[in-house]
Amino acid sequence: MRLNIEIKRIQIMKSILIPLIILMLCTALPAGAAVFSQNPPDTDGIDTDGDGIVDNDHIYLHMSAGDGFVNMADGRLMYMFGFGNATGIPDGMVMMEQMLGSEFPAPTIKVREGQKLYLNLTNVGMMLRPDLFDPHSVHWHGFPNAAPFFDGVPDASITINMMSTFTYFYNIIEPGTFMWHCHVEATEHMQMGMLGNLYVLPKQDMSAPATSLSGFIHEKGFKYTYNDEDGSTYYDVDFPIQLSAFDPDFHDASLNVQPLPFALMEDKYSMINGRGYPDTINPAVLWNTASDEGLMDRPSQPVNSLITAKQGEKILLRFSSLVTTHYYTVTVLGIPMKVIGTGARPLISPSGEHLFYDTASITLGGGEAKDIILDTSAVEPGTYFLYTTNMNYLSNNEEDFGGMMTEIVIDDPYPLQILSLIYNEDGSATLTCYEQPGKTVNIEWADGYTPTPSWNQVDNPALDRVHHGDGTWSWTDFGTDPEMLGLKPGDVLSRSYRVVVQ
Amino acid sequence: MKTDIFKIMAIASTFAMMLFAPWLVADAKINGLMGTSFNLTARTGTIYTGEGNIIHVWGYTAGPKMQYPGPTLILMQGMPVTINFTNNLPVATSIVFPGMDVTATGGTTGLLTNEAAPGGVDEVTYTFTPTRPGTFIYYSGTDMDLQVEMGLVGAIIVRPMGFDHMMPETWRAYGHDDSLYDHEYLILETEMDHRIHSLVKQGKYNEARAIDYFPVYWFINGRNAPDTMLNDFHPLFPTQPYGGMVMMHPGDNVLLRIINAGRDLHPFHTHGNNFEIIARDAILLESVPGVSGADLKVSDFTTSVSPGGTEDAIFHWTGHGLGWDMYGHSPEDPPEMGEDPNDHGKPFPVIIPEQQDLTFGDMYSGSPFLGVAGDLPPGHPGLNEAAGFFYMWHSHNEKEMVNNDIFPGGLMTMLVVLPHSVPIEH
Repeated sequence: MRLNIEIKRIQIMKSILIPLIILMLCTALPAGAAVFSQNPPDTDGIDTDGDGIVDNDHIYLHMSAGDGFVNMADGRLMYMFGFGNATGIPDGMVMMEQMLGSEFPAPTIKVREGQKLYLNLTNVGMMLRPDLFDPHSVHWHGFPNAAPFFDGVPDASITINMMSTFTYFYNIIEPGTFMWHCHVEATEHMQMGMLGNLYVLPKQDMSAPATSLSGFIHEKGFKYTYNDEDGSTYYDVDFPIQLSAFDPDFHDASLNVQPLPFALMEDKYSMINGRGYPDTINPAVLWNTASDEGLMDRPSQPVNSLITAKQGEKILLRFSSLVTTHYYTVTVLGIPMKVIGTGARPLISPSGEHLFYDTASITLGGGEAKDIILDTSAVEPGTYFLYTTNMNYLSNNEEDFGGMMTEIVIDDPYPLQILSLIYNEDGSATLTCYEQPGKTVNIEWADGYTPTPSWNQVDNPALDRVHHGDGTWSWTDFGTDPEMLGLKPGDVLSRSYRVVVQ
Repeated sequence: MKTDIFKIMAIASTFAMMLFAPWLVADAKINGLMGTSFNLTARTGTIYTGEGNIIHVWGYTAGPKMQYPGPTLILMQGMPVTINFTNNLPVATSIVFPGMDVTATGGTTGLLTNEAAPGGVDEVTYTFTPTRPGTFIYYSGTDMDLQVEMGLVGAIIVRPMGFDHMMPETWRAYGHDDSLYDHEYLILETEMDHRIHSLVKQGKYNEARAIDYFPVYWFINGRNAPDTMLNDFHPLFPTQPYGGMVMMHPGDNVLLRIINAGRDLHPFHTHGNNFEIIARDAILLESVPGVSGADLKVSDFTTSVSPGGTEDAIFHWTGHGLGWDMYGHSPEDPPEMGEDPNDHGKPFPVIIPEQQDLTFGDMYSGSPFLGVAGDLPPGHPGLNEAAGFFYMWHSHNEKEMVNNDIFPGGLMTMLVVLPHSVPIEH
């Protein structure tokens, strides 16, 4: 009871203090302190990222660092420290726009080898912790041959105070899956949520069409994980998968200005890209419910982790972990996993030998990264699951069936979509679909439907089908009313009709 | 009263750090016992934790005082070794040497090896010949779940044939040039649940064994940060002789001998650059043993060594490719040794904010440039007079960067890249 009163008192204090602080920030900036982003133009006249354009190699980002709220998958509102994306916001507006603008995970940084990144970091302050004067930083985790000045370790460099901007510079010369986070008071700020995905695309993507990579012919649009020189790290679609986890007691202690339980820290919300299942597969941007705390609701979890690909495609999963407490083992049920890179380097020996390995699980501690290729060519279309095999973390705190899990949807590359259904004068119906190149089509109707004999007997429709030569085929059937099946043009004949494509 | 003493200790150690900039006094080598014959004793004693606590520990030592971890034994490949072992603990204990073919005589036959009785009444002799070079571990072979936690653990380094400490061109970890190095450092990872140690001190062994293990201290070479950055044999740590400060010059190859001597995994992350893992459990990662060199080596920025396992990794840092001159040169200045010619004279790319907008780290030199000190605000401790580049090396399960409830600390140390003008003594 006493504690509740205490918390209530703090909350009342906050509701008074926040507008006061905003007022202070707007009117009483100390001399010198100001949001100041640096975005120098690319004037060197050299194309360094391989796209043939000489003046577009500079990339400008503006991140804000402060506090905010996110909702866990069980609905619980969680106080956090985090980064927000202020890119494109005029400097004079950044404080007002970005206070309490934390996102979880931090905005994804995706850049290309050969680019130069100017990463502006504005410290917008911790609105709900006016007692804190913490600076913040950016640590590009794994940056090769880093200089301490831009490495973000507060002991070894300088870090930015509230209401000011520090510009980090990165000359990007190595591709790979990295990660980024704040390194100030690292245990606290990282547990509180200042972490995000970061990856670098290789220059090999920009190879001229028909270039031979040790016999592998590059075509425009082909993508690789690394400069492998043989196409072995090719992928069709890629998804960053960052593991993270929250200890609600730690976050509550932070919000309520209580001593932080470092020794007792124990994560209860295990997440992928800042969400627990089933939020992981929700395509929407998730808004927090900060109005519960008397604040404005904000979009705070923009990233979903629903992985989609067409059968036959290679999926690159860019795994990283920024969990502060545990190791997690992760599996993809039903799809073989091939590890092709670790620590932002390909598993290719100095002599060019592949050290790739197939596995059914990977284990990641904090600060570890692995690149996994899922080859779906022998995988049936359908929904598959990616989840931690540390089963006790398949929960959103006390709510079971959640946590560190997401779905992988493999689509049929040649869907049996009905182009037209024509009722003929003789009482028959003609169904027209796209051809399934290189495939044999067998159609049976699902159980539960009582078909007329002729529809049901279509075990080998190839015999009856008329191929039009324009990529479509038609099949005319007598004695059936397709409307009884609920079929109409645009429908995709899916598994419910037991369409078997072989 | 006791707490006050601890506080004074903690303040004193911080103060000592401020007085002695760590890179000036730390050892750029692995200290240990060299030879073929050793007299080791298991003793009880106490260690200091990073925030000033005292923990009751059991450890191996070659001297009158317990030490944690035990002495690093530096052996030669092919040279037979004899270890005469006595026991001053209240319980029987022993030593096992994974990876070695050991003959044990004397004492009492135990489950894994011969054990020495408490009270120093008998002596066990362990003899073996290290047939292959590399990084090994030794620890208690008696009641191991309790005794290894209590501190009975140490490192073994076996030098390859042809190694000569006086001839740097022979400094290899293994028989192949892929393991050549300029400096070598030990990173021995452990953790502790101090409640177990309190119970053992009271003789409550069964209660200690039954505890739900929950470590709150994490160590490199037996010390928590920030004590890891103080030199070997520092007088503040009479029972924790080994520091963990890493030093190098640009372009050097640093051999890291990483040992997980605890029971949990620790994701050890090196700021500054990737390292290449060239060996695991003292076996070079090579496709054709003895011929191909470390052609199966793996590059990474974080490594989790298995409990009881060892890894050897080569860390290399040049500062090449930054896109600006890391020495702050003008184009007409002469280049430094090993400098990236493409970056020579390139201007610093951004404007640095004003002092009042910044928080200054204790190991920041006042400038972004190597070997160039700059302005620091009043009250800054100025720990980096040589203007080296400091990088944090630590467990990335960030909870392990804490001493009990106090941040920062734990399994953390620093690398400092020193300008060539500052010598690194071996």
